[in-house]
Amino acid sequence: MMSAELKGSLNALIAPIGAIVLTMLLGFILVAAISDEPVLAYRELMFANFDSLSNFAMFLNRATPLVLISVGITFAFRAGVFNVGGEGQLFAGAITTTVVGIAFATLPAMILFPFAVISGIAAGAAVGWVPGILKVKLGVDEVVVTLMLNTIVLLFTSYLVNQVIRDTTAYGAVSWELPEHIWLPSIPGIPDATSGFMIAVVLSLASWVVLFRTQWGAEVRSSGTNLRYAEAVGIAAGKRVITAMLIAGGFAGFAGSLYVLGIGHRFEQNFSPEYGLIALTCALLARVNPIASLFTALYYALMLNGAAYMQISTEVPRSLVILLTGLLVLLMTARLARKDTNTQTFDAF
Amino acid sequence: MITLRANILNVAVEGMMLVSAFSAIAVGSVSGSALAGFSAGIFGAVITSLVFSIITLRFGAGFIVAGLGINLLAAGGTLFALERWYNSPGGLRPLGFPEIWYVPEGSLSFVPFLGSVLEGQSIIVLLTFLAVPACWIFLYRTPTGSYLRAAGEDENAARSAGINVVRMKMLAVTISGLLSGLAGAQLAMNKLHFFLPNMTAGRGFIGLAATLFGAGHPWATSGAAVLFGFFGALGDRLQAFDIPAQFVLMLPYLVAILALTFSRWRIYVRNKPAKL
Amino acid sequence: MDHDNILVLDSIGKKFGDIVALENVDLSIRRGEVHVVCGENGAGKSTLMNILVGIHSADGGKIFFNGKETKIRDPLAAGAMGIGMVHQHFTLVPSMSVAENLFLGHHLLRFGIFSDHRTMVERADILIDTYSFALDPEAIVSSLSVGQRQRVEILKALVFDAELLILDEPTAVLTPPEVEELLKVITNLRDRGRTVLFITHKLREVKAVSDRVTILRRGKNISTHITKTVTENDIARDMVGRDVFLTGRQGQDHGMRTFGESVLQLENVSITNSSGRLLLDNIDLDVRAGEVLGVAGVDGNGQTELAEAIAGLIPIQAGAIRLDGTDITHVSVAGRQEVGLGFVPEDRLDRGLSSNMSVAENMAATNYLREGILRRGFVDKDQLTEFTQKGIEQFDIRGAKPDLAVASLSGGNMQKVVLAREFAREPKALLVSQPTRGLDIGASEFVYSEILSAADKGNGILLISSELSEIFALADRIAVIYSGCIMQVLTREDADEETIGILMNGGKEHAA
Repeated sequence: MMSAELKGSLNALIAPIGAIVLTMLLGFILVAAISDEPVLAYRELMFANFDSLSNFAMFLNRATPLVLISVGITFAFRAGVFNVGGEGQLFAGAITTTVVGIAFATLPAMILFPFAVISGIAAGAAVGWVPGILKVKLGVDEVVVTLMLNTIVLLFTSYLVNQVIRDTTAYGAVSWELPEHIWLPSIPGIPDATSGFMIAVVLSLASWVVLFRTQWGAEVRSSGTNLRYAEAVGIAAGKRVITAMLIAGGFAGFAGSLYVLGIGHRFEQNFSPEYGLIALTCALLARVNPIASLFTALYYALMLNGAAYMQISTEVPRSLVILLTGLLVLLMTARLARKDTNTQTFDAF
Repeated sequence: MITLRANILNVAVEGMMLVSAFSAIAVGSVSGSALAGFSAGIFGAVITSLVFSIITLRFGAGFIVAGLGINLLAAGGTLFALERWYNSPGGLRPLGFPEIWYVPEGSLSFVPFLGSVLEGQSIIVLLTFLAVPACWIFLYRTPTGSYLRAAGEDENAARSAGINVVRMKMLAVTISGLLSGLAGAQLAMNKLHFFLPNMTAGRGFIGLAATLFGAGHPWATSGAAVLFGFFGALGDRLQAFDIPAQFVLMLPYLVAILALTFSRWRIYVRNKPAKL
Repeated sequence: MDHDNILVLDSIGKKFGDIVALENVDLSIRRGEVHVVCGENGAGKSTLMNILVGIHSADGGKIFFNGKETKIRDPLAAGAMGIGMVHQHFTLVPSMSVAENLFLGHHLLRFGIFSDHRTMVERADILIDTYSFALDPEAIVSSLSVGQRQRVEILKALVFDAELLILDEPTAVLTPPEVEELLKVITNLRDRGRTVLFITHKLREVKAVSDRVTILRRGKNISTHITKTVTENDIARDMVGRDVFLTGRQGQDHGMRTFGESVLQLENVSITNSSGRLLLDNIDLDVRAGEVLGVAGVDGNGQTELAEAIAGLIPIQAGAIRLDGTDITHVSVAGRQEVGLGFVPEDRLDRGLSSNMSVAENMAATNYLREGILRRGFVDKDQLTEFTQKGIEQFDIRGAKPDLAVASLSGGNMQKVVLAREFAREPKALLVSQPTRGLDIGASEFVYSEILSAADKGNGILLISSELSEIFALADRIAVIYSGCIMQVLTREDADEETIGILMNGGKEHAA
C-alpha cells in the first residue's frame, strides 16, 4: 500500500533536487575555470563509483556511516534538538569499539563482537545524552554544547590513538588492528563492501516506521514541535527528547563501531571527512525524513568518493567537494526558506 | 556578540576567522606589507559575513545551518585554494613575512597596569581592547545600537517603528564579520606568520559560548572570553607537567560547557518555587 | 466629499490568491467620532486596517484622507499622514524603557550620533501628563502590566500627533477593570479632538464606547448604524447573518438541576513562586457531577497556575487534589487523564495543539490506546483516520482533513480539535480554561452548547474564564479568584454582576 507519508518521503526527495542541480552547475563552472577537462572531472566525480566493483564497494563504505548518522540525527531533529554533535558521537563509538576489541582480543567472537558493538553504541549515546539532558533540565543551548563536545571527543580519541593504543609499526595516528575474528564480513558478491551498509538500510526503513507509525514516534514528534503541548497531553516530553538524543548518539556511535569493524579494521584519527556535519546536511536535505535521508546520504557518498577519482584523473583538488558541500548547504536552506515565506504571507491574511 | 543582540546565533564566525586568517597571510606575503595583509584579512571576513547575511536574511535560510555551511565553504575554499595555487595542502608558510606593528615598550606606561600588559602585544590586541567599550557605547548609547537591540528583541516592534530590521541584522552580521576578521588576522599574523587549514580549531565556537555566557552583553562577554582564554593559556603551562597535550587543549571547551551549564543552573535554582 | 469626514474608503477590494478578503467595502469616518468596525474573525477587519496603515495595499478602490485621495505605501507613510495604529499584539521592546520605546526609530540625538536619553524622557513625561496616563517614562516595559503597556502603545501613536487612531481589538488582552480604563481613555481622546477607529467583536464594548458602528461580514460591509439606535442583538445578527443565542442556561430554572457526587476536589492547594509569594493560597474547590463550576477573576490572579496544578503540569507545595475519589496529588499528567480528567488549556496554540502536526495526530494524542488505534504496537492508519473523521463530523470542524496540519485551520476550528480530543475520552471531570478566547460568536455558541451537553451527561466541569458573560451563561456556581485566593463561592441565583465584579477586584467579603 502506498500511503500518504510514503509519498511524502518521495516528495521530500524532489524538492531539494533543484539545490543539488544548482550546486553541481556552479561547481562545474568552477571546475571549468581551473581545469582543461571539466567534463572528465565531473564524469569521474559522479560515475567512477560504478566503474569497478571495488570502486562501488568503496562507495558503499562511504555511505554506511553517513546513512546511520543522518538517520540518527533525524530522531534528534524530530525531537527538536539541533544535534550538531554527530562527529563527536561517531568518534566516541569508533574509539570505544576499538579499545574494547583490542583490550579483550582473546575473547571468542561470539562474546567480543556484541560486546564491542554495544559499547560503541553506548559511548555514542552517552555523548548524545549530555546535550540532551542539559537542554531538557537546564535549557542549555544544544548547538554550542554539541559543537564543544565534538572537539573534546576528537581530542580525547587523538590522545588514545597517539599515546595508548597506537600501532607503533604504522605511520600516522592509527590504532593497532582489531582481531580478525570480529571483523564484519563483506556483502556477498561485492568484496570489501561492508555488510554494515545493509544494516544501515534496514535501520533507516525501521526508523521511518518507528517515527511515523508508533505512538512513541508521535510522542517524540509532538515533543519536538511543541514541548508544552506534549506535556499537556500527558507525554513525558523531556524523557522523549532525551531518549531521542540517546538514539541519535547511539546511531552515530553504531556508525563508528561498524566503521572500525567492517571497513577500517582499526581506528584512524582522520577516518572521517566530517561525516557528522555532512550527515547533518543529508538529514536536512531530506527534510528530516529517514527514508529520504538514505538517498541523500547515498548522493553525498557518491560525491565524496568520486572526488578521489576526480583528483587522480584530473587536476581538480578533492577539497572541491567540501566547498560544494558548503555551497549546497547554503543553497538548500535558502530554497526551503523561500517556500516558508510564501506560506507566511498567506497566514497573515 | 553583536549578532546575538540582533537575535542571530552566528555560527559562521569560525568560517569568517578562517577566511580572514587565510587572506591576511596570502595578501601579506604577496604584498610584503603587514597593513595590506591585515586589511585583506578584515576584508575577507567582512565579505564572508556579507555572503552569510545575504543568504540568511535575503533568502531566509536558517542561521545555524547556513553558518555551518559558511564554515564548510570557508574550510573547503581555503583548502581548495591551497591545493590549487600553492600546491601545499598542508598549509601556507611564506618564507618572509612582514612584521605587524607591536605596541612599543614604554609607550603606554602612563596607563597603570593595563599599559604594561599591552606593551609588546600586537596592534590587533590593542584594537580588541578598544573594541569592547566601543561596542558597549554603540549598543547602548547610539540610536543605531538601540534600534539593533530592538530589532533583535522584537522584530515586530522594530518594524512598526519604521526600523529596517533586515538592514539592522545585516549590520550586526557585518560587525561580527569585522571583529572575527580581527581575530583571524591576529591568529595568523601575530608571531605565527602562517596559515594552516582549520587553524582556527573551534575558537569561533568558544567565542560563541562566551557570548551566550555573557548573555550578549559586551562587558560580560569579554570577561567570559578572557576567562576561556585564561584556561587556554593555563593549558599551555600545564603541558610542562607531563599532561598529554590533548587534555590540555580540551580545557577551554570543557570550561565553556561547564560555565554555560553553571550559569543556566543558577537561573534554574533561582526560579525554583520557595518552600512553604 | 463631505468635509466632515476625516477618512473615506470607496469600494476597497483585496484578494489573497483566490480568496476574497474584502469586496467593495465603503466606510466613512467623521472627524472626532469613535467609530467601531465589528465582525467575526475572518470578516476582513484586520485586512481593512492593514490597508489603512499601509501593511497591505488594496487591489481596488480609493482612499480619501482629509478630503484628498491618497495612497498609503507603508506604516511610516501612514504615520506621517496622521494615522496611528495600536496593534492587537504589542509592538514594544520589553527590555527598554517607556521613553526609549516611544522614540524607537526616531531617537532624539545629542552630538549628532549619541542618543539623547534625557530629552526623550522629558518629552515622554509631557506627553504622559497631557493624557494623564500615570506612567513612569523611565520604567522598563517588561515590568509594566498589560494595561500599562497598552497605554504606552497608544502614546506611541500619539507621539507623532496622529489625528486618526486605529485600535485593533485592544480589549482582547485586557482584564475587565483595564477594559473600563481603556474605554475612558478612548472617550478622553475623543474629547481632545482625536478620531478613533476601534475594531472589536465584543458587543458590549460597541455599545459602551462608539458613536457609530460598521459591521463587516465575509469581506463585505453589511451595515452602518448610529450605535444608540441599535441593540446588541441587532449587531450580532448582522455579524453572523442569523439569530444567535449566546445565552447558555440563562433563563432556565436553576433550582431544577440536581447534581451528583463530587468528582473533582481541591483541598488547601497552595503554590509559591521563587520569592516565596503565594500564587495559589489555600484553594478549596469542589466540582460535582453534572455541574459547571465557574471560576471568575481578572487574568493573572492565579488562574493559569490553578489550571496547570489540576492538570498536573506544575507541582503543588501543599494540599491535595482528588479526582473521582482518587488522590491524584502526585499522579502524572497521563495518570490523571487515565483516572478521568479532561483538560482544555487556555491557549490552544501553546498547550493545546501542535500546529505543525496533522489534525489526526493532534486528536489522537491522548486516545491511542483507548480508541484501538494501535495494533500490535503500531499505529493503524485506517483506524486513526476513522477516529479523526468521526471527531471532525461530530464537532463540525470545517476545513479539516485528518492529514492536514492544524495550523491551516481557523482559531475556532482549532479549538474544536482540542474539544474533540478531550471529549473523546468521556472524562469524568473536565477542566476548561478560557474556552472561547479569540473565537467569534458562531464558534463560541458551539463551544457553549458542547460544554453544557457534557454537563448534562453527568460530567463535572470546572470552567475558568475571565469573561464574566461566559461565566454567567454557563456556570451553576461561581467561584471568584483574586490574588490566588478563592474569595467566595456563590450559586448562580445569588450572583449578580456587581457582586462578582467587586469580588474580582479584591473587594471585601461583605458583598454577600
